[in-house]
Amino acid sequence: MKNLFRIARWEFITRFRSRSFLFNTFVSPLLFTAVITLPIFFFNYTPEVSTKLVGVIDLSGKNLAKDLQKQLNRYYRLDNQSREYVVLKVSVDNSMPYNEALSEYKEAVAYKDSVTAVFNQIKRQRSEYYKNTKIPNRDYFLKTSYEKLQTSREEKELAEIELSHYKASLDSLYKREAQKMADSLLISDVLNAYLLFPDDFTRRGHLEYHSKNPGDLRETERFEKILQTIIIEKRMLEDRVARPKIKRWLSSISIQKYQLMPQGQTEWNFYAQFYGPLIGVFLLFMAIFTSGGYLFSSVLLEKSNRVIEILLSYASSRQLMGGKILGLGFLGLVQVLTWIFITALFAASDIIPVDKINYLSLANAFYFLLYFSLGFLFYGAIFITVGSISSNEYDAQQINQLLRTVAIFPVLLSLVVLAEPNAPFIQALSYIPFLTPSFMIMRIPLSSVPLTMDIYITVGIMIISIIAVILLAGRTFRVATLMQGKRASFSEVLQWIRVK
Amino acid sequence: MSLLLQVNQIYKEFLGVTAVNNLTFSVHGGETFGLLGPNGAGKTTAMRMIMNIIAPDQGTVLLNDEARAKIPNHRFGYLPEERGLYPGANVLEMLTYFGTLNNLSKRKAEVEAIRFLDRLGMVDFTDRKINQLSKGMQQKIQFVAAFLHDPDVLILDEPFSGLDPINQIVLREILEEYKKKNKILIISTHQMEQAEKLCDHICLINQGKVILEGNLNTLKRKNRENAYLLSSDEDLSFLKDFSELTILEEGNNTYKFALNDSKLSVSGILKKVEAQANIRKFEMMEPSLHDIFIQKVQEENGGQA
Repeated sequence: MKNLFRIARWEFITRFRSRSFLFNTFVSPLLFTAVITLPIFFFNYTPEVSTKLVGVIDLSGKNLAKDLQKQLNRYYRLDNQSREYVVLKVSVDNSMPYNEALSEYKEAVAYKDSVTAVFNQIKRQRSEYYKNTKIPNRDYFLKTSYEKLQTSREEKELAEIELSHYKASLDSLYKREAQKMADSLLISDVLNAYLLFPDDFTRRGHLEYHSKNPGDLRETERFEKILQTIIIEKRMLEDRVARPKIKRWLSSISIQKYQLMPQGQTEWNFYAQFYGPLIGVFLLFMAIFTSGGYLFSSVLLEKSNRVIEILLSYASSRQLMGGKILGLGFLGLVQVLTWIFITALFAASDIIPVDKINYLSLANAFYFLLYFSLGFLFYGAIFITVGSISSNEYDAQQINQLLRTVAIFPVLLSLVVLAEPNAPFIQALSYIPFLTPSFMIMRIPLSSVPLTMDIYITVGIMIISIIAVILLAGRTFRVATLMQGKRASFSEVLQWIRVK
Repeated sequence: MSLLLQVNQIYKEFLGVTAVNNLTFSVHGGETFGLLGPNGAGKTTAMRMIMNIIAPDQGTVLLNDEARAKIPNHRFGYLPEERGLYPGANVLEMLTYFGTLNNLSKRKAEVEAIRFLDRLGMVDFTDRKINQLSKGMQQKIQFVAAFLHDPDVLILDEPFSGLDPINQIVLREILEEYKKKNKILIISTHQMEQAEKLCDHICLINQGKVILEGNLNTLKRKNRENAYLLSSDEDLSFLKDFSELTILEEGNNTYKFALNDSKLSVSGILKKVEAQANIRKFEMMEPSLHDIFIQKVQEENGGQA
């Protein structure tokens, strides 16, 4: 029994002093936290640092730019309260083709106006003739003016058709030229994006969003929301709804999120809620695989350099294995406690707002320790088995890699766990011993109902699995560590397990 | 009380292959026991069973009539053939660790480790890391690990391989000293000259079985070929005419011969030779362990070595 503690002490001390332990305890978690929190940081803050210029090409003639600006001002403000978006009507004043077309159009308008004026004059004259029966030659005048009226009407109609042609080509030219302008502004980063409203926008509600990065969901979502309100307002106006009514009907809503927890309601913060458990899983994984990895390399090293034979001549294989598990398990606990301590230190010095992140509780620290211990014992025993069977480091590392992949797998499902921590398939997956610690460490802080039953069940499953793998490890360790050189076949491994 | 290690009918097989087949021998305290045999004879397996690293399928290992499994490991010391140490460990710390695993106090283990390191001329290396040492030095560290805790039974597998002659002498001195304490020393080796110099008692095994066992001198006497060597400065060719002997080898006035009848006394022949020539050297040819080893193993393997 004494030897077990001596071995444990040796394993603990030699690893505790190693650089890799320091790295895994302090540097890796820091790096990981930085890697996953930096994008959040950028996502949240960088785009809002400066005001964004949004171009508008409005073919609808409803002066949408003004409404858009008003609504954007209402919802989105920078930290210094200045507006986040500035709406800019894309100007085509400097476009030669447009100006030419415009002057042609104006000429056409002038012509149409003059023709219309002539037509109106004739019309007016004729009504005079009708009313005044005393005019000499009235019948003659009525007859000739009727002919004039006919001709001028024809001219007027032709001018109108011509004008509509000019108008259409001007509009399409405007659209083309404005878009050309807006594109160049987009390329030169003057504009962040521009919106193109077709002439039938209010009717069909269709518009174009042009940007270097149309995948920016946040921006498009904002515009969608605001334009929806604007278009509804326009349609209501068309239907002659009174303005005060419209204002009342369209008054905006705002949502504040709360999560229901057993201890009461708390404000819900996506990032803290999501990334917290993710960091938790990562730390758990780190802890299990740091100390488990040491266990593995310890067995592998002693087997490959034959120290195992000396050690087995001093102590029984059971003491040796037990000592390793104890010493390195304690090492893992030291690592976990260091992290808990650091977290507590941060919390105490207000670097982490504990009152806002409700899962930073003593109970969850306990669960972390619990699932670490179970995970370590489970994976540790598997590592011992693999380490003692493997004939060379290369093979062993491959299996090690496989185990790591399996253990980190729950992280891939983290979004699903976040959405529904108690979904039946998540629950089922957390009953698989390989996945239990990772899943449970995510589910416990995310679940809105206490998982007491699941905790009992998983702890039970883990304990049974641990007993099974430790028995297996004990048998293979005793026999297989003395074997050397050739790779063990599966049937040989089975025989080792049966050896008394 | 003198020590007695008894190995009774131990049998072990691995995956259907018999490694040790009913091996029996006993070793007394104060005696150096040589466990000899070709590669794959089962020596290492036998030693591992004595060390209780593996359990025999059948048979018992007893130390003073007490079952091996019940005896604490620290009464045994072992130097395995395949040497290995923790590459990154500090020399003194590692030896102290090994010492404490063998029931020494930390202080005592340190003192003993330094004492042995000093003796092997390595006291300046106590704070070095193992992988900074030469191979020979690592070997010496391993010796220290094997007998640091002053075991009652010391088992050394190929102790001399890889050691330079000076360190071989130092090691032999340490082993002599150990023997004087009436403790049990078991050495396994291929180097027959070393075994011949060190061992009092040998056990030759092949294919898991004992093929020759006993006191080294007795064995030699038993395996004597009844041969003699005679040399002179003068011509000895007249020996060929002697009917009572057969010439085995000749050359440069030196003859190796055997008596045709073992009952004959060699002194009669010597007298006859002295009458004709001056005898410079006369000796009775003792078979070397090397010869016995090869002869026996060849016999056992049916003439193929």
